[in-house]
Amino acid sequence: MTLATPNHVFETADEALEACFELGWTDGLPVVPATVEAVAAMLAAGGLNPDDVLGTVPTRNVTVTAEKAAINAVMAGCLPEYFPVVVAAVRAHLQVKANSHSTTATLAGAAHAVIVNGPVRQLIGVECGQACFGPGFRANATIGRALRLVIRNVCRAVPGELDRASFSWPLRYSFCFGENEEASEWTPLHVQLGYQQNDSVVTIQSVMRFIAVTDFEPEAEKILDAIWEQARHAGLQRDEWAGDGRSLVVVIGTEHHLRLLDQGWTKERIQQYLWPKMTADTGGKYDNKLHLADPANIMIVAAGGPGIAQSWLLVPHLAIPTHERVVFPDDEASAAGTTP
Amino acid sequence: MTVAILDPTNGSIDSASGFVTAPRPAHLEGQTFGIMANGLGDSEIMFDALYARLAGTDGLADVIKVVKPSVAVPPFPEDWDRFVATATVAVTGLGGCGSCSTRSMRDALDLEAAGIPAVCIVHTALVPAVRAMARLVGCPDYPIVTIDYPHNPTGVWTKEEAVALAAEIAPAVRRRLLQAS
Repeated sequence: MTLATPNHVFETADEALEACFELGWTDGLPVVPATVEAVAAMLAAGGLNPDDVLGTVPTRNVTVTAEKAAINAVMAGCLPEYFPVVVAAVRAHLQVKANSHSTTATLAGAAHAVIVNGPVRQLIGVECGQACFGPGFRANATIGRALRLVIRNVCRAVPGELDRASFSWPLRYSFCFGENEEASEWTPLHVQLGYQQNDSVVTIQSVMRFIAVTDFEPEAEKILDAIWEQARHAGLQRDEWAGDGRSLVVVIGTEHHLRLLDQGWTKERIQQYLWPKMTADTGGKYDNKLHLADPANIMIVAAGGPGIAQSWLLVPHLAIPTHERVVFPDDEASAAGTTP
Repeated sequence: MTVAILDPTNGSIDSASGFVTAPRPAHLEGQTFGIMANGLGDSEIMFDALYARLAGTDGLADVIKVVKPSVAVPPFPEDWDRFVATATVAVTGLGGCGSCSTRSMRDALDLEAAGIPAVCIVHTALVPAVRAMARLVGCPDYPIVTIDYPHNPTGVWTKEEAVALAAEIAPAVRRRLLQAS
């Protein structure tokens, strides 16, 4: 396999690691040296050629190739079998409506949640249950980190240059988790979106605000009321460019999930209940309308472990959630970048 | 035993060169003033006042204003086409947040490439970011017009403040539209 990227040669592994810091190639944490052999293994696991294009950021004259994504995946600590998920995440992030330039240059320091659905979760060990937001799980930690390193190193979102976050935030190191599809009969997110149950799918949600909703009420309606009340505190303004696709992700934690199940609530019923309450006219400074075009723009994801009665809101930046099917080398029926 | 590692970047941000700015008119009289606005804060008030002021002092003939559909995206293609077919000089901005400032700088550079003399209005807090965009396209010293503190970077201004700012920056905008460097 011939790579376009030139080698940098060092006497020792320690010198190579220090050079990665000095050259500005890391997120501030140590990285795994990206050798030709490791990058080739990554590309092989993805069934990709080095020059395959995963997407572009036109405002920055950036083209992201499979080779550069693979280098950054190695540096992030990914195993080769994670690479198809990394590729799907990068492709999803580079879709036009994911608004890469805006979400990675913003003063607000938006993060990017990588939400994984389908069989690949169990195949590679993407944690969906207890502590799934991390740290603690290699697949979650390194897949999210690989996307962030691509954003930094390939897409030029370097602090002080085209990353202009005033504070930035820790979710930007890595934020990847799976939906706990096995916890109930709820329709998984990717199936709600029109994919097949056996598809593996990555969803990227830009995250402007990450809000915990902790509520110990036993009644389902009261839990849902707490969710929409918290969401309305944040609000969601209309953005003409993003149009009707802008969505709120609601990650329903286990305790809330169990109460909702016991009382017969499906995802679809939850969406129908929340939507009119979230989209009612603004009633004051801390009671803001969410401009969500349809109940389907409230994306319900089951995740997390038992214990605290908590769910989480992932409020977007100026982007819509984007999705990509995970494509494996032996998946002859698949075509990269397809949507349902 | 040596260790050979691969560069994870797309190369230096300074690798482009040779960007050519648009030819400048001798004066603003008779020119059509283009405003490519991102809608940030109260900046549209400033841009409208800037046009009114330069129309009065310099004899601008007309104005075309495009407000982009989001703060950090290009204009819709049909708006871009209409804009470049009409404007003969242009201002972009407000460069007041991270993504919108860099995109507004890109708007100005794209207008220059299309043959329209332009200038990006930027708050001093965002200068390093817009400078990175200028370096990226091979025009590291591309001049800008700046707004400084105590004015809020994100354009949260009173109407009176916005109008006063227009008067304050008008000479620099005129100079920039008439002189390439």
